[in-house]
Amino acid sequence: MFNRREFILTAATVPVVAASRAFAQDRKVLQVYTDGDTNISDWWNNVIKPAFEAAHPDLTFNLTITRGVADGNTTIGQRVMAAMQSNTDPQADYFEEFDPADVEGSIEAGLWTTIDTSNVPNLAMINPAATDLPVRLPYRGSQVLIAYDSAKVAEAPKTFADILAFAKANPGRFTYGRPDKGGSGSNFVIRAIHEANGRDPAAFTRENFDPAKAEEMLQKAWAVLQDLHPHTFGEGTYPAGNTPALQLLAQGAVDMIPAWSDQALQAINQGVLPDTVKVVQLQDLALCGGFAYSAIPSNATDHAGAMTLANFMLSPEMQVSCVREIGGFPGIGWEHLPPELKAEYIDVIPVSIPTFPSGDWQTAKNDGWYKNVATNLTRD
Amino acid sequence: MTARPPIAGMLIALTMVLVILGPILTVMIWAFAEQWRYPNLLPTDWGLKFWYQMLGRETVITPILTSLAITSISTTLVAVICWPAAYAFARLSFPGRQLLLFSFLAINAVPKFTLFVAIATVFLQIGLIGTFWGVVIVQMLSAMLFMIWIPTAAFRGIPPALEEAAFDLGASRLRVFLQVTMPQALPALAASYVLGFVTILLRWNRPCWLARPRSRRCRFCCCSFPRSLSSSRRPSCA
Amino acid sequence: MPADGIAAASAPGRNSAPYEGLRGLLLVAAPIALVILLVILPTSAMVLGSFRVGDGFGADRYLAFFADAYSMANLRYTVFWTLASTVSALALSFGLALYLRFSTGRLAAIVHALSLFPLFVPAIIISYALVRFLGPNGLFQLLLEQVGITGYRTPYLTPIGPYIAFIWESLPLPVLVLTAGLTQVSDSAIEAARDLGAGAGRIVAEILLPQLQRPLIIAFALVFLGTIGSYTIPYLLGPPAPEMMGVYIARTMGNLQRPDEAAVQAVILLAIASVVGLIYIATMARAGRQ
Repeated sequence: MFNRREFILTAATVPVVAASRAFAQDRKVLQVYTDGDTNISDWWNNVIKPAFEAAHPDLTFNLTITRGVADGNTTIGQRVMAAMQSNTDPQADYFEEFDPADVEGSIEAGLWTTIDTSNVPNLAMINPAATDLPVRLPYRGSQVLIAYDSAKVAEAPKTFADILAFAKANPGRFTYGRPDKGGSGSNFVIRAIHEANGRDPAAFTRENFDPAKAEEMLQKAWAVLQDLHPHTFGEGTYPAGNTPALQLLAQGAVDMIPAWSDQALQAINQGVLPDTVKVVQLQDLALCGGFAYSAIPSNATDHAGAMTLANFMLSPEMQVSCVREIGGFPGIGWEHLPPELKAEYIDVIPVSIPTFPSGDWQTAKNDGWYKNVATNLTRD
Repeated sequence: MTARPPIAGMLIALTMVLVILGPILTVMIWAFAEQWRYPNLLPTDWGLKFWYQMLGRETVITPILTSLAITSISTTLVAVICWPAAYAFARLSFPGRQLLLFSFLAINAVPKFTLFVAIATVFLQIGLIGTFWGVVIVQMLSAMLFMIWIPTAAFRGIPPALEEAAFDLGASRLRVFLQVTMPQALPALAASYVLGFVTILLRWNRPCWLARPRSRRCRFCCCSFPRSLSSSRRPSCA
Repeated sequence: MPADGIAAASAPGRNSAPYEGLRGLLLVAAPIALVILLVILPTSAMVLGSFRVGDGFGADRYLAFFADAYSMANLRYTVFWTLASTVSALALSFGLALYLRFSTGRLAAIVHALSLFPLFVPAIIISYALVRFLGPNGLFQLLLEQVGITGYRTPYLTPIGPYIAFIWESLPLPVLVLTAGLTQVSDSAIEAARDLGAGAGRIVAEILLPQLQRPLIIAFALVFLGTIGSYTIPYLLGPPAPEMMGVYIARTMGNLQRPDEAAVQAVILLAIASVVGLIYIATMARAGRQ
């Protein structure tokens, strides 16, 4: 089903020293910052960098990993903002993943480059579902899939109802993470909300949140999940995050969980999960996911170089790499990618990633889940 | 009771080994396991794969150095301000001595979490959030109780008669302190330093929380397990 | 440790030099300032802020907390399991301290070292270690199955999970305090009691326990205060609901973005902790005067 390339494994075991090495003088070095997970930084250093250098002999980049250092890229964003105000060199060209809204007032102050087809021609190919603020450049997506042990689960689930049926027929063999502790559990709960409300992701937008209406819509989802509750692992003891859920699957304590595509694929590749574990996307409506957005400061040290990198990231070549190497979802439309790629990944990658609005809906979802599903207080 | 057969001691020791070392031993084995599937008693595949993977990332060394630097600086600063204070508490009399000595208990009496929420608010206002010195200052708190109480007890434990004899021989206060008091208090001071250092080093998840009070991303990603299944930060990590 | 500090508080200060009071105050000024700035002021500000309603003051948010069944369940759960694990940790460390008091030799040294070992293990590591050890299909279950015991039910993700971890993590402090307390009971008193025909049980109940009253209270307070606000252990090992207050506060503040409610929860937690804190301080003060 998958092209399980050994790449991630080998790439990860090769010490990444190149990033800190001095570069040939004739290349301009872009300063790229990421606070993404290790699979992302490994991908940038081991795949993107050689490809970028080959395509642009005059350019290269130095990837600084800010994950876990102060406030990650937000701290660098604040530094860039301060540099703009004092007219100094920000020493930053490119944010691998960043939400400009994290630095207050920076969008209004014009700190971020507005991205359009004039400065990033490849933007013409973008997946319309990924479009967000004009200062944010969507370039990869992640989605939640159902991971299951094919040695124990006879038939892969195709619909949400299949999961419920499996859980009830195999008590304690299915679980999902707490929705506030990681996206895999969160998006499973969202899928239940969609299931209970006509499977229409468009019914939920950031603007249409209304407490009374939300209460009514969410109650229907709580009924579905309360029904599932006693059949999950430990009769309703949901693991505290993406990793603890994967760990239960790895230990053979459960046979089916929702999991992030890239995290599950990497775990299978590394042998952390048995190779009998397979992943599948639901066919009636996919589980949600989201896009990662890059941002480029308007005062970037090498602004032209940064725009070149942005355009390069949206090239079909790199987008194919995103699908193959990190199990990600492409930022550009499928029609711009080789048809065989789509055929290969059709089981796991849906035509679109449904999304769920942030803000009030998320809060209502998480708080409601704790009060109605996790607790044994209010169930009859 | 002194004549109790060693059987009881053996049992206690064995239980302690299982209970205290059992969990840690499990992790040690896991660190060298490439594959360990139930129901095998031991890993099915041994290897150093995850060590290479972890050490292969240049980003591993920097955080370790940073936390060692923060810990050393914080512990030393605490020692610099707390040891003289401990001496004062033990040897000098001044108004409010008992009350001030007890006020250090406030650090322990306030639940840690409450305290860090409160400090985060203050730090936000004065711009110390997420800065190196902000973290150092907060870390200093965790070690203060140890670094006040143990040295105070140690200074008090030194018989004043010794110092008085030295004074009678005409030695200056500083000289008495350096040549009589310090050598005697040194083991206790060193112990308090080690205890303080360890306390600070192990509380690394606290400043991490302080460092990201407003971030909308995965707030507690810093608590991720440093092994094979690394935790994730996602675009939509709610 | 702290117990020793106060026990020795009676040592007279030298009272010779002039300006001694001023010098003493100057020497303690820096750490005291830090405590006031970082502990007392922020905490007071938070307590005050939690009563702010619009332009005035009121207890509205507190009433809302006490009226909310979910919050109250979390509060009861927190207090119950904190007490349970504290009492268990004390009982275990009392047993260990007794053993250490009356044993010498290599075995006792090993037991002593093992009982202090958790001091050097961060909560996050022991949490993950316990998942691997006590978790489903973990090493403990494997060991049991080797000797033919099946049907193991993991405490992971149940209240027993954090309960075990709390005891594990908080063992060293009471062992230290109680061992120090027991060394002050003279051998001759015990010998005398034994000569009068007292059994081990009576010696513990009538000679050791009364002498240990104060160290026991101090150890209780230290463990209780260290456990009640904990976050990592109940978050990783406990059930999703009810939540320990530390986890609940973090979720209210971080995920739900309701800092006002989080402050109320924190102040309520603080109120419970300060009762124990006051007992602790009173005990220490009594010890200090003697």
